[in-house]
Amino acid sequence: MTLPSDNKPAPDALKTQGMPQWAEQLIGQAIAVGISIIGGAVIILLVGESPLHVFATLLRGAFGSWERTAGSLLQATPIIIAGVAACVALRGGLFNIGVEGQLYMGGFAAAWVGFSFALPAGLHVLVAMAAAIVAGALWIALPAFFRARFGTNEVVSTILSNYVAVLITSYLTISVFKRPGGWSETEPIAPTAYLPQISDVSRLNIGLFIGIALAIGLHLFLTRTSAGYSVSAMGTNVKFAEYGGVSIRRNILVILLCSGAVGGLAGGVETLGVHHRFMEGFAPGFGFDGVIAALLANGSPIGVIGTALFFGALRAGSLLMEVETNASREVITVFQAFIILCVSAQILIRRRRDSTQGERRWKF
Amino acid sequence: MKAKFRNLAAGSALAAMLLGAGNASAETLKVAAISGYFSQGFGIAIMNGLKKAETDFGVELKIVDTGNRALDYEEQFNNIAKGGEYDLVFVMGWELVDALQKSNQAYPDQRFIFIDGVLDSPSMTYVDFVEEEGSYLVGALTGMLAAADAEGFNSSDEVGFIGGRDIPVIRNFLMGMEQGVAEQAEGVSVSSVFAGTFDDPAKGSELAMTLYGQGVDVIYQAAGPTGEGVLQAAKAAGKYAVGVDIDQCGTAPGNILASMLKRADVAVYDLIKGEVEGKPVKPGPVSYGVAAGGIELKICDEVADKIPAEVKTKLEEVRSGIADGKIQVKLNQ
Repeated sequence: MTLPSDNKPAPDALKTQGMPQWAEQLIGQAIAVGISIIGGAVIILLVGESPLHVFATLLRGAFGSWERTAGSLLQATPIIIAGVAACVALRGGLFNIGVEGQLYMGGFAAAWVGFSFALPAGLHVLVAMAAAIVAGALWIALPAFFRARFGTNEVVSTILSNYVAVLITSYLTISVFKRPGGWSETEPIAPTAYLPQISDVSRLNIGLFIGIALAIGLHLFLTRTSAGYSVSAMGTNVKFAEYGGVSIRRNILVILLCSGAVGGLAGGVETLGVHHRFMEGFAPGFGFDGVIAALLANGSPIGVIGTALFFGALRAGSLLMEVETNASREVITVFQAFIILCVSAQILIRRRRDSTQGERRWKF
Repeated sequence: MKAKFRNLAAGSALAAMLLGAGNASAETLKVAAISGYFSQGFGIAIMNGLKKAETDFGVELKIVDTGNRALDYEEQFNNIAKGGEYDLVFVMGWELVDALQKSNQAYPDQRFIFIDGVLDSPSMTYVDFVEEEGSYLVGALTGMLAAADAEGFNSSDEVGFIGGRDIPVIRNFLMGMEQGVAEQAEGVSVSSVFAGTFDDPAKGSELAMTLYGQGVDVIYQAAGPTGEGVLQAAKAAGKYAVGVDIDQCGTAPGNILASMLKRADVAVYDLIKGEVEGKPVKPGPVSYGVAAGGIELKICDEVADKIPAEVKTKLEEVRSGIADGKIQVKLNQ
């Protein structure tokens, strides 16, 4: 997996002239957010509310007090971790759209360890998180193997495995581990398996730091190690990476397994840190939010921290917005949809432009 | 000219003040409702009740849709309760109970009303529908039709019941129906079966077909989505079924005999009315049965003329008997 250092092309050699890449990306992101704000404002006007009032309430709901800020961070936590999971794959030129399913499997595995075993505090939570990681990796193992061995499109196989994961965890929750007399949820986990809370005013827990540490760790891995470089090289140009001596099949398998493992951890952090049990359909959409956050950050793990915080703040703010204004919380969904449109347009534009220069950013 | 305008302005300002003062003395009631199901059967009924109260009493309404992310529920409750702005907060949906109870502890002065269920929190109000009374009416109607060999009721003296899971609340439905049949239709018996699940329409359909095959002409279902399958089976077999909770006559027009309605709209409207008229909602259970208009047996329009007049008359007698307490419906517990 190591590349002789003199084979490294200077990164700038592949780049377009003019603006530095980061500036170009930042401008692109700003345009995406700008367009979605304008689009959102139009929708708000259509329902007869003042966009200014709605946006002000949105901001106050997201950052109005320490409690509300903690609420935003709480919402951002699973998106950061799921986003890092998506980044791992994106940087290797792969798409893991199955973060959602890995998150469910990881969440269930962590809860299962939490309520089935009695272990000393500290050890219990670590074992539960390890279970989440293993469950996530196992859940992507089949798509990963098929991608590496037969070149099966991982987008399709990971998307399909999402449905299976949601339904399997539903089945396990309702038919095997249901708490008697309750809603469709398992027994609560033992307090020894709780992720410690940061303060009493919110359910915010150290899962946030886990997410940030993962993002920084991935960034360092990609930029400072030769293994990380071989991943980036694959993502930029598979042919070139192969020519440079990277074992593509092995890398595909390892990258997707790691991506799935992080996805599983995202679910584990949710059950161990927030819900303290597994509920059927407990976190719909977080996996997809993570993928979107990673795309918006253009696959940069540090960028994911920013985009996930942005989405978290939007979600937290929207909860107050719905109570205090006449705008529905779905305005936020419209917002996100505009962002996705803009980002996919950018990817398309870049791909078209860059492909003439021998560079291919994402596979499709 | 200018002076005239000024007078006019002053006059209207005065009028506005007077009107405003009038409003202030009545003090607008502020009501919030929170659920993830406002677009579905039971939620629609609650919305109807709220809207009616809005037109009749001028209450201020706030509808909060929870969506389906468990992470959001707690903040949503707290956002509503924090300001102490709402006099009453209606809550519907079992998945919200945890967050509701936490918010109830954090904001003990906020009055929450949980719709359709019995909770373990003495400081909260909860609305409980007396399903067994409605089921008694279903038993009376189906039993009388079977005994009278009415059109479509020739094959046997048995009526059917399909429950979701064998749990106390569903047993109440069955007990009510059995009592209704036993007391109002001599010689008719109830053939009952539990699907073991609320989420399997195919299973409901299969069980219904078995019962119809045994010669049962009508099946009363209390099985959620599993019961949808029962209604479909009635259509396929050309037999009758009885709907539950909401008006299900439209699911298989002509094959649904009646629907046992839980009138969430009546309950919601009634509670708000009491509040407006100076009878505030108190913590604890509030039961809505036949007498209060919270439970109703609606005979479907499509089949109404096939039901003999004497059965209808008798059914009305039974209904008023339950309403004024002459007929006591027993409970499972």
